[in-house]
Amino acid sequence: MEKKVITSQRTGDSCIYVKHKSGLDIYICEMEGFSSTEALFGTKYGSVNTMFKMRDDKEYTVVPEGIAHFLEHKLFENEDCDVFELYAKTGANGNAYTSFDRTCYLFSCSKNYQDSLRILLDFVQKPYFTKENVDKEQGIIGQEIQMTNDNPEWRVIFNMLRCMYHNHPVKIDIAGTIESIAKIDADLLYKCYNTFYNLNNMVLAIAGNVNADEVLSICDECLKECEDKGLETVFPEEPESIVQSEIYETQPVGTPIFHIGYKCRPCNGQERLTKSVALTMATALITDASSDIYQKLLKEEIINSTFGSEIFCGDGYFSVIFSGESTDPKKLRDSIISEVKRMSDEGVNEKDFQRIKKCMYGSLIRQLNNVDIIASMMLDAYMSGIEPYDVINTVSEMTSDTILEYVRTELDKDKLVMSVVEGAENV
Amino acid sequence: MKYNRTELDGNIGFTSVIDEKFKTACLAVRFITELSEDKVSSNLMGIDTITYSNSKIKTFSELNEKLSSLYGASLASFSAKRGDVQVLGISSSWLLNRYAIDGEDIENEMLSLIRDTVFSPNVNDGKFDEESFRITKKELLDRIEAEINSKREYAVTQALKTAFKGEPAENTSYGTKETAEAVTPETAYSSYINLLKTAPVEIHYIAPQENPAILEMFRENFSKIERIPKKVLFENASPLKNEVVTESEEFDVRQCKMVLNFKTDCENIYAVKMLNKIWGETPVSKLFMNVREKLSLCYYCSSRIINAKGTIMVDVGVERKNIEKAKEEIIHQLDEIRKGNITDEEIESALKSIDNNLSAVGDSPSSYSAWYFECFCNGEIITPQEKIEKYKAVVKEDIVRVANSLNLDSIYIMYDKESQE
Repeated sequence: MEKKVITSQRTGDSCIYVKHKSGLDIYICEMEGFSSTEALFGTKYGSVNTMFKMRDDKEYTVVPEGIAHFLEHKLFENEDCDVFELYAKTGANGNAYTSFDRTCYLFSCSKNYQDSLRILLDFVQKPYFTKENVDKEQGIIGQEIQMTNDNPEWRVIFNMLRCMYHNHPVKIDIAGTIESIAKIDADLLYKCYNTFYNLNNMVLAIAGNVNADEVLSICDECLKECEDKGLETVFPEEPESIVQSEIYETQPVGTPIFHIGYKCRPCNGQERLTKSVALTMATALITDASSDIYQKLLKEEIINSTFGSEIFCGDGYFSVIFSGESTDPKKLRDSIISEVKRMSDEGVNEKDFQRIKKCMYGSLIRQLNNVDIIASMMLDAYMSGIEPYDVINTVSEMTSDTILEYVRTELDKDKLVMSVVEGAENV
Repeated sequence: MKYNRTELDGNIGFTSVIDEKFKTACLAVRFITELSEDKVSSNLMGIDTITYSNSKIKTFSELNEKLSSLYGASLASFSAKRGDVQVLGISSSWLLNRYAIDGEDIENEMLSLIRDTVFSPNVNDGKFDEESFRITKKELLDRIEAEINSKREYAVTQALKTAFKGEPAENTSYGTKETAEAVTPETAYSSYINLLKTAPVEIHYIAPQENPAILEMFRENFSKIERIPKKVLFENASPLKNEVVTESEEFDVRQCKMVLNFKTDCENIYAVKMLNKIWGETPVSKLFMNVREKLSLCYYCSSRIINAKGTIMVDVGVERKNIEKAKEEIIHQLDEIRKGNITDEEIESALKSIDNNLSAVGDSPSSYSAWYFECFCNGEIITPQEKIEKYKAVVKEDIVRVANSLNLDSIYIMYDKESQE
C-alpha cells in the first residue's frame, strides 16, 4: 500500500494519498476543529462513456445514452432495501450525481462517519438490478428528463454543445432521452457496472472530522480486491471545426439566456490545468466588473450581473464559455470577439492581470474553509490526473505571457458558437 | 469557539463568534423590517445601491477593482423573507492578512469599506447617485422577469401568494415589476435612511481572531443616528381559508407542477418539524418512498415548513394525467400519520437527521451567522445541542396531533399547454 502526504507549499494545508491494495485511490484530509465529514466515492464513468471495451474483449460495446445516470439511480437500491434507509439509521445525508465524465456517491454527516462510510463502500460494490426495479425507474427518470427539458439554463448548454461537437458524446444529455432510456435493461446495467465500477477506475475522497488510520482500516474491511482489466474508452473522431455557429430555442423565460462558447483543443493532466487557469484569467479580464468592456455593456443594458465565464473540459473536449442573460446576445457576441482580438493584438494589461490573479488566489484559499469543497477538490484532482493543491500553485505561477499565448492560439472566432433561449415575445 | 453578544443603543445587536479554524473573516449586517408591498422594492434597492458605490469610491467599476485587489473580498447585498418580515442587509468576507502575498492589511481596508458602505453612501441632493441606482433597478427588474426561468420556484412563489393573500407574507422579498418600476433614487435613499433609523439591526462578525475596532466602528457611527426602532413580529400564523382555494396557470412546459399548502395552529414547533421530516422532507419520508419510489409518479415530491406562518407546503413535478393521483397519495400519506401509522424507525431517523444537521453548525462562518440570527428571532440563545434535546422530547402522539391539526388551505397548479389540446 503506497502512502504519501501531499502538502500545499503556499498554505501549509495537507492531505494523505493512499494507493489501496484493492486498486482504489484514496485521498483523506483530516480537518481539525470541524464537526462534519464529507465523503465521495467516484468512478471515471459519465455520460460521455458510451463506447468501451476491456483488454480481453474483441469488440467495443456501445450503450444507450443516459445509462451512466440510470445506473447511478439503480445502485441506490440493493437487494434488501433502499440505501437511503441505511443512511437514515446513521443520520447522514446521502446523495449521488452523474456528470459528463464521472459518477459520484456521497454522504455528509457530523456524527458517526465510520458507519456511513461502511454503507457507502458497501452499497456501491453491491449492484442489484432486476427487470422490475429497472422498469420502475423509467417513470422516475422520465420525469427528471422532462423537468430538465423545462429548464432553460440546461437547454441553453446542451444546444450549445450540439452546435459545437459533431461526434463527441459530450453533446448528449446526461440523463439521455425518454427513448434512449427505454433501451436500458438489467443486463446492460451489469455490463456497464462490471466495466466501470472496478476499483482501479475509482477514487474515495474524504475530508473533515476523520482519522486517516480509521478510514484506512474501514477500507481494508470493506473493499474487495479488483483485478485491473485494462479498461479502454474511446470517443469518435472529433473535427476541430464546429457544427453550426448559432442556435435559438423558445421557452418561457425573462431576459434571453445565452451561452457563447469557443471550441478549443482538448488536452489532459497538467496541460489541461494550465490552459484552464490561463483561460479562466483571460475571460475574467473580460467579465470582471471593472473591465472597460463590462462597464460599456452594462451601461448599454446588454448584460446584467449574471454575466460570467467558465472553462468546460474533460476527456476529448475543452471549451471556454461566456454565459448569462442579455437583451442583445448578438451584439454581446460581437463585443466578445472584438475584445479577444484587442487582447490578442495589444497584450494583457499587467496591472489588471495581477489583480485578477490575486482575486483567484484569494477565492482558492477561501475554499479551504470548507469541508465539502476540499473533498471535491481531492476528487477532481484524481479525475483530472493532477494532485490536490496543484491549482493553487498553477495560479500562483501564472504569467501574463502564458495567458496571451493561449488567447492567441485557442480563442478562434471561427470556432465560436452562440446558443440562446428566449421567450416567445422576443422572437 | 468564543461567542459574545453586545447590545448597542437603539436595538442594535453585535454578535462575534471567534473560531480559530477559519481562514477568513465574515461580517453580516441585517436590517429587520415589516414586509410591505409599498416598501419591499425600495428597501431592497436602497440596500443594493449602497453596495455599488459610496462617497469615497464613486463607481461600481472602482469598487469592484478594490475588492478584487483585496484577494477577491466580497461585498454583497441580500433580501430575504421570514414570514411577515423582510430581512435585508449586506454580507462581506475577506481573507486573513496572513495570506496576503504582498503584505496588504486586508482587514483594515475592508473595515473602512464597510463603514463607508453602510454610513456614507454615494448621495447627491438627497438622492442616490443616478448611475449606481440605474444598475440596481435594472438588476431587480431582470430578476423579477427571470422568476419564470425556474418553473419549480415560480410555482412555489405563486403558491405562497395564494396561501397568504392579504397578509404581508404574500409579497416576495423583492417585490413586483410595478413596485420596482415605481422606485426612484430619492425614494430608495429615503427607504435606506428609514432602515438606518427604525429597523432593528443585527450585526455578526465571524473570524478566527478578535478585532474590537469593528464593534467600535459600528458603535461610533450608529451613535450619530437618531434611532427610533420599530418592533417586528417574527411569528404570525396564517389563518386557514374557509374553503380550499385553487389557482392555476398554463405555460409552454413539458411537466406540470402542483403545490399544496397546509396550515396548522399547533404551537409545538419541534413536533411540526418532526412531522415535516417524516412526511416529506427526507429521502426516506413517506412522500419520497410512496409518491416517487412506489408509484413512480415523479422525480421530486417533498414538503417544507414556513415556520413563521404555521404552514407546510408540498410540491411535486408531475404529468398532467397524474396530478389527481399524486394529490390523493400526498393526502393519503398525511392520513396515515393522522392514524398514528408512524414507526419508531421513522421517528428515530427524523431525529438523527435533525441531529446531523444541527451538529454541523459552526463548520462555516455562514452557518454560525444563520444559527445566531435564528436564535435572535426565536428570542432564545441556545446551543445546537440544547435544541436537539427539545426535539428528543417530541413523542409520537405530538406528531399525530400536528398531523390532525393540518388542513389543506390552497393549491397552485402549473399546467402544460400541450397535453390539454
